[in-house]
Amino acid sequence: MKLVMISYDILIRLRKFMNKEKLNTFIHLIEKVFTQKQPAFDLGLIVKEPTCQIEVKEVFEEIKKIVDIERIIYDETIFDEDVIDKIVDAFQKNKWVFLEIKKDIKSLLLNQLKHLANYNSFQLIDYQGKDVFDMKMPENSRVIVSAERDFIENKISYPHFYRLFGPTLNLK
Amino acid sequence: MPNPETFRFKSPEELKEEEIERKIQERGPEGEILGGIVFEEEKVVDPETKEGKTKRYIYIGNPYEERPIIIKLETDATQEEVEAIKKEIIPMKESFEILEAMARTYKHRQPLLIEGPTAIGKTYLTEKFTELLYGKGVKPLDFYCSGQTDVSELMAKWVPKVETEEEKKKWNEFLELAETKVKLFQIAQEAEQTERLSQEQKLALIHTRLQELAKSAGLSEKTQWRFQYGAVPKAMGLIRNPDGSFSFDEQKGTGFNLHIEEVGLAEPQVINALLKLRGKKGQLAEVIQLWENGGKKIKAGPKFWVVFSTNPPEEYLARNEVDPALARGVVFKRMGELSEESLHLAADYYFTYKLGEKPEEKPEGCILDIYNHPEIGREIAKVVSAFHNDLNEELKKGEKGRQQRIPLTLDDMARVADALIGTQIRNKETGRLDLTESLKELIHFYYLDRLADQDLKKIMEANLNELLEGVTGKIEFEGKILTRKEIFDILVERVSITEEEKEKLEEEKMQEKERQLRQAEFNAQDAIESLLENPEIPESVKKLLQKRP
Repeated sequence: MKLVMISYDILIRLRKFMNKEKLNTFIHLIEKVFTQKQPAFDLGLIVKEPTCQIEVKEVFEEIKKIVDIERIIYDETIFDEDVIDKIVDAFQKNKWVFLEIKKDIKSLLLNQLKHLANYNSFQLIDYQGKDVFDMKMPENSRVIVSAERDFIENKISYPHFYRLFGPTLNLK
Repeated sequence: MPNPETFRFKSPEELKEEEIERKIQERGPEGEILGGIVFEEEKVVDPETKEGKTKRYIYIGNPYEERPIIIKLETDATQEEVEAIKKEIIPMKESFEILEAMARTYKHRQPLLIEGPTAIGKTYLTEKFTELLYGKGVKPLDFYCSGQTDVSELMAKWVPKVETEEEKKKWNEFLELAETKVKLFQIAQEAEQTERLSQEQKLALIHTRLQELAKSAGLSEKTQWRFQYGAVPKAMGLIRNPDGSFSFDEQKGTGFNLHIEEVGLAEPQVINALLKLRGKKGQLAEVIQLWENGGKKIKAGPKFWVVFSTNPPEEYLARNEVDPALARGVVFKRMGELSEESLHLAADYYFTYKLGEKPEEKPEGCILDIYNHPEIGREIAKVVSAFHNDLNEELKKGEKGRQQRIPLTLDDMARVADALIGTQIRNKETGRLDLTESLKELIHFYYLDRLADQDLKKIMEANLNELLEGVTGKIEFEGKILTRKEIFDILVERVSITEEEKEKLEEEKMQEKERQLRQAEFNAQDAIESLLENPEIPESVKKLLQKRP
């Protein structure tokens, strides 16, 4: 019985270790600056599969060891304007953003995520005293969006969600 | 000899037209498109000040057409900028079809709707067209439609002026309620339908209604409200500042490009708002009336232009047909899939690294500088474009285990091309780049690992192997029928070897040839000797054999 317990423990740790390897590759790919395509940076997506035992927070903590990153949880307690403020703030500090999606993405944020994916920049109307506020994603910043597979498939109403992202990390 | 009666001199305009047409249709030594977009400067005299000045123009035409329709547009971009933008556009037939449609509708102030698959480049070309008009780095004003789109973001809204975070939270909660949105819409409707009131009176009515609404929700009725324009009025009245930024000016605004994306996803209330953009004779409206602001009229500047884009409804889930009323009010450009020829051209551009700056030094992970060897890139392009095409056909049918469909885009190829520079696997036997394995690895990562349908993944893996190493994937190369892997190995070997190795290889080849000749000579001598020893061979023949030099 004891032997089985140890094997299980090893198995879990091994699984985590393998994910860590993949995580490094994933980060490396998001960091990549493309020359053949525009925009030059990709947005990254982390998809947590229903079978996954690792918490998204743990993954965030692992990423935090590699890059300077800010975690933003997009749930019922936060408004789109506040999320955008937080992302702008992180960009101003040359930080990465880890955006955890826990509710369907509303128009304001979705527009900005699409703009980031298309142009690597924010474009906001009447923001920070400007009629048209344009902010390029700094060269040292990146955005990683994280969501559960079931949530993406069933709760996110935007039908092309996956297309916003380049590298995808599946947490199995 | 031409008939003197039909002989005529061409006017300077006609000669100029011919010159521009020649430039539009210009091709390179290998038949590649160099034209399509032409920059010209003209000296003009200002009719008011009588002063001479230089104006910049771009000419856009489809170089694939035998007699292209060429559109001349004034531009803020410099010649260097136009040349740089041109280099970023893969000269596919479809790209010029779209650019020509954009230029034509822009010139005539007509709204354009492009319906086409993801890979066709609708967003990218709208950006490039805006850059061609305004200079490098200028992006259109973008508005993305979805099931969540709020009309107020498109047209206008009232925003309460709040000071504290607590107040802001309360108001945000209130304003996000569907019921509040309906009530705000009803207030604007009431202003629209109250005929006898002046605009000021309507504005006063709106303020009263807003206060009542706030009070009914337990919020302060003394809250001040400010009016905020949405994307449409903003684009109508934007003006470019000397520093290059844009600001809104109701009176002097020249207008700007507005790109309304994924209009096929827009809800009916959004479509209704967009219908306000319809003007006379198929043009864009010159003014729109905002009932949210008591019926205030917003004037469109002369450079205001709208392009809508959407994906074809039959290819994607949850996407509606473009609203018929909207479709009737726009110039509708329906694009099909990228042709195989265009797909191959795009792959060729990516894998011969024509689009971006090439690395000055060999980057980490790079065994062979393939970006300096277009002959290798062209062979890789054939493989990747064929694989991309096959997989895209499969993906159109949908995947098992996933509701959303994820069609491929040209970016997928671009990613593989970029990654191939620094993610190379070494062949342990030769010590050189193993192009087949490197390519397999990257295609796996960028194309196959995203598939939710595991059966499809296995099929495509097998197809890839067959394409690279199988009999059916063989093609003719320099007079021989070879697998792609064999072709890659030959090409890699050719460019991998150093001058010293090359000389050594040549020497070895010569030695081998000499050795083979010597061997042939010995073989011939042995054969002759055996004939001479053969009693059955007539003496006359033996004498002839002995006389040999």
